[in-house]
Amino acid sequence: MTAAEIEAKAKEIKRMVIRTVTGAKGGHVGTSLSEVDILATLYFGVLNLDPAHPDLVDRDRFILSKGHGSEGLYCSLAAKGFFPREVLGTYLRHDCPLTIHPTRHVPGVEMNTGALGHGFSNAVGVALSARLRKRGYRAFVLTGDGELQEGSNWEAAMSAAHFELGNLTVIVDNNGLQLSDRVDRTMRIEPLDEKFRSFGFDVHKVDGHSVPELLGILSALDYGGKKPHAIIARTTKGKGVSFMEGVPEWHHRVPTPEEGERALKELEL
Amino acid sequence: MSACLRETQVDTYIKLVKAGLDMVYLVSDSVSTSKIKPFREAFPDRVINVGIAEQNLLGIAAGLANGGFVTVTGNATAFLISRSNEQMKVDVSYTNSNVKVNGLHAGFSYGTDGCTHHEPNDVSVVRGFPNFEIYAPCDPAECAQVTEYALTKRFGPVYISLNTGNFPVITGGGYRFVPGTPVQFAQGADLTVVALGTAAHDVLAAARDLGGAAAMDVFCVSSVRPLDFGPIADSIRKTGRALTVEQHSTHGGVGSLVAEGIAERGLGAKLRRLGVPEGSYTKNWTAPDNKAFFGLDPAGIRKAIVEILAER
Repeated sequence: MTAAEIEAKAKEIKRMVIRTVTGAKGGHVGTSLSEVDILATLYFGVLNLDPAHPDLVDRDRFILSKGHGSEGLYCSLAAKGFFPREVLGTYLRHDCPLTIHPTRHVPGVEMNTGALGHGFSNAVGVALSARLRKRGYRAFVLTGDGELQEGSNWEAAMSAAHFELGNLTVIVDNNGLQLSDRVDRTMRIEPLDEKFRSFGFDVHKVDGHSVPELLGILSALDYGGKKPHAIIARTTKGKGVSFMEGVPEWHHRVPTPEEGERALKELEL
Repeated sequence: MSACLRETQVDTYIKLVKAGLDMVYLVSDSVSTSKIKPFREAFPDRVINVGIAEQNLLGIAAGLANGGFVTVTGNATAFLISRSNEQMKVDVSYTNSNVKVNGLHAGFSYGTDGCTHHEPNDVSVVRGFPNFEIYAPCDPAECAQVTEYALTKRFGPVYISLNTGNFPVITGGGYRFVPGTPVQFAQGADLTVVALGTAAHDVLAAARDLGGAAAMDVFCVSSVRPLDFGPIADSIRKTGRALTVEQHSTHGGVGSLVAEGIAERGLGAKLRRLGVPEGSYTKNWTAPDNKAFFGLDPAGIRKAIVEILAER
């Protein structure tokens, strides 16, 4: 798929996110919009996956460590064909697998996440399994930036470099906001690029809303090499909806029906 | 002949991999703790040392299980139960990963390294995690069977609590481990005694010391979950009183299991629980000294039995 086609998919997924959250009256709309351009690039331009066979041994694995971005993931999986789009209408209903944080009950989800600081280690395990088996599948993990305050991530980073896992890529959704405030006012994590580089990573800083840039970098990484990759993707929480962009309360606030309509209109432009 | 439970496990791993099992073993610098060296010499690519990083240990284990390996971890349970608690919950239990978690040096068996290295709550904590089957094998023969079952017959999380030291085989030559079934060692009408894992050795020693003075049903719960409580309930209906013995907190271990079983079935029996009393730290002493302090050595168990029998 070309970058332009992926951009169109991303916009479509963002509209699906707005409808899903507004319909369910719950979710994390800001954080999901922050990640959709990255997820669309991964699912439509990078990951080697077969939605009809989600358990293929040689599939690439994507782990959403920032599990509260579940709507972005569910809408990407539905757009990719892992399950029918109508299922998104059941989001947050009792006895429905589309829970607020993702679980393996949803086709295409690799690990149950939601507690922060877990997915990176899981991805190290996946990448190690591929290396031990001499298989070509790769591990991708998306973390939040505030999430990197969890020390377990740095245990994972140390081990990814130590085990020389070039088949592992960590992408940081670097929107600069966490639940209650700006990341830099809460607990500074910068300079992220220098931190990852000092841990032994191949580091790239990209515009996390530029599909051509994301696609270019993710297509050019040396996955067979010895250095794991860190992509620090500068993003905006609530991207694409003017009244949500960069506003911390949209981490968890649910759009009213009117706000949902306004958001959908903006995403059609 | 006595043997170390960890060494028995390692022998089992070697046998299973030679037979074709696709497993990996993860340590957090716990190479000596896990006694894994003979396995590593035979299969160097199948041992992964993540360094002193217990959260990462369990997180990586779940990722390796996602990649299709039967994944086994081995480290001191004191640094597992608390440090890796959320990884146990989310990555292994909630995700239902095919990871086998060994809690080594359970109870106060780490000895004089003290409270930081003791873990008398492992069974209690893991009972809070759905999907985990929980075992505490009592002797080398049972340990080998539990290990083989966990790695080859059970797809999903297993926790195995292992005490330290050399233990003789007490289960008998024809013993076949069956998940859920308590092991019965002796029969008698006066008292029901239930031990957790290797505490059975001290109970049997106490029974030997008492000779014919106490007629007891003696059970070992080595399968904590699943557990068929039926045989223990039948015994308590007969004897009307029970004693539990465990190198574990009286909260959440076999003492709690039996208390729950008595209450839920309305058995109306009197129960005494020997263990590390709820709310107590262990002592920074040797394991035998801790056993004596908490009344878990044969002399302490014998004293408790005599007191219980004198009550009627």
